[in-house]
Amino acid sequence: MRRLLILALLLAPGLGTAETGVEPAMKLSVKPVLCITDSRTPSCDIAFLVVWESDLSGYYCLYNDFGESPLQCWNEERHGRLSDDRSVNESFTYWMTDDDVGSRLAVVAVEVLRMDTGDRRRKRRTRHVWDIN
Amino acid sequence: MGKVLALAIALLGAVSAEVLAQEPADESRWRVGAAFGYGIRSNPLVQSDDIPIIVDLDIAWFGDHFFFDNGDVGLTFADNETLTASLVGRFNSDRVFFGRTETRFVNIDLAGAPLAEATLFEVPDRDYAIELGIELLADGAWGQLQMTVFHDVSNTHDGYELYADYGYGWRSQRWYFEPSIGASYKSASLNNYYWGVRDDEVNDVLPSYQADSGLNAHARLMLSYQLSRQWSFSLVIEYERLNDEAAASPLVEDQDVFGYFTGFGFRFR
Repeated sequence: MRRLLILALLLAPGLGTAETGVEPAMKLSVKPVLCITDSRTPSCDIAFLVVWESDLSGYYCLYNDFGESPLQCWNEERHGRLSDDRSVNESFTYWMTDDDVGSRLAVVAVEVLRMDTGDRRRKRRTRHVWDIN
Repeated sequence: MGKVLALAIALLGAVSAEVLAQEPADESRWRVGAAFGYGIRSNPLVQSDDIPIIVDLDIAWFGDHFFFDNGDVGLTFADNETLTASLVGRFNSDRVFFGRTETRFVNIDLAGAPLAEATLFEVPDRDYAIELGIELLADGAWGQLQMTVFHDVSNTHDGYELYADYGYGWRSQRWYFEPSIGASYKSASLNNYYWGVRDDEVNDVLPSYQADSGLNAHARLMLSYQLSRQWSFSLVIEYERLNDEAAASPLVEDQDVFGYFTGFGFRFR
């Protein structure tokens, strides 16, 4: 009887989460999260691999900054992945929602780093010997 | 030489009245960073130590006309699609080797002949020279080119240097590879100041030497990997061949100067 009570206490938080509408824990990862452009390659043409995993099955959608519609939705799933072919030249974000599209369960930022410059002086070599930055 | 500089300034000013590059709106005027790692630059002087490099600071500021770049100060007076021209002041770099020499008792002279008795030998010191010159920068799909002419304005060596460096970079996302090659012509006055041996410096160990003008050559390879927005990992290998006149100096033991550095670079963005 005592074991049953302990088991019930351990399960209670999980049951409470589902029933009271507390957001499930969501893990979202994107590769790569850094993309580099320069004068010869002014945009990143990359297939971003987006992988998500939730602790609860449910209805989840993946969005990014480039549109109001979801990239993809999954029904009664706990995990999913998507390869998103994209050409970007500005930083942006991916995020996951459940059926409440206004709440972002997880957000990942993809940074586009511009390594070119309009100022040639920034590329001059100096006796600053190593010039590696 | 002063007249040549003045003429170059006037010509370049006439070629381009249009001034200065349009910086991207989000580009800071400051460039501040540091590299942490290990490297050395060999020292061609006799009785000297290689130059270790553990931390390398990078501090620069670029205004519309004026700039400061790791000790160099400049005034940009022409900038267009073809080139950027600046009047630049700097310290001469040849002096750097003379900061890491040793004083020792020696039993043979620098030609290898035995001495009658052990003699205290010290590599003569040389001063930093303040130099003023013109720098031209050009780039495009073909690569980047830097050409400079500098003249001593501190009455140190009273000579001049012509320098050219060409580089071409390849980027594949986080990887960047850039080889570059170049040459620098050192006038007789400059060469002789740093590598010659004056009469008042001659002793049993050190014979007199007069250096004429000469041409140094250099090559460099740089490979870097961008780890994050601020951090990168870099490997730099550099080679410089001193001109024959410098290499023939009794003060010089190696005509080749090798250097490398590998480490992590951080830049504030």
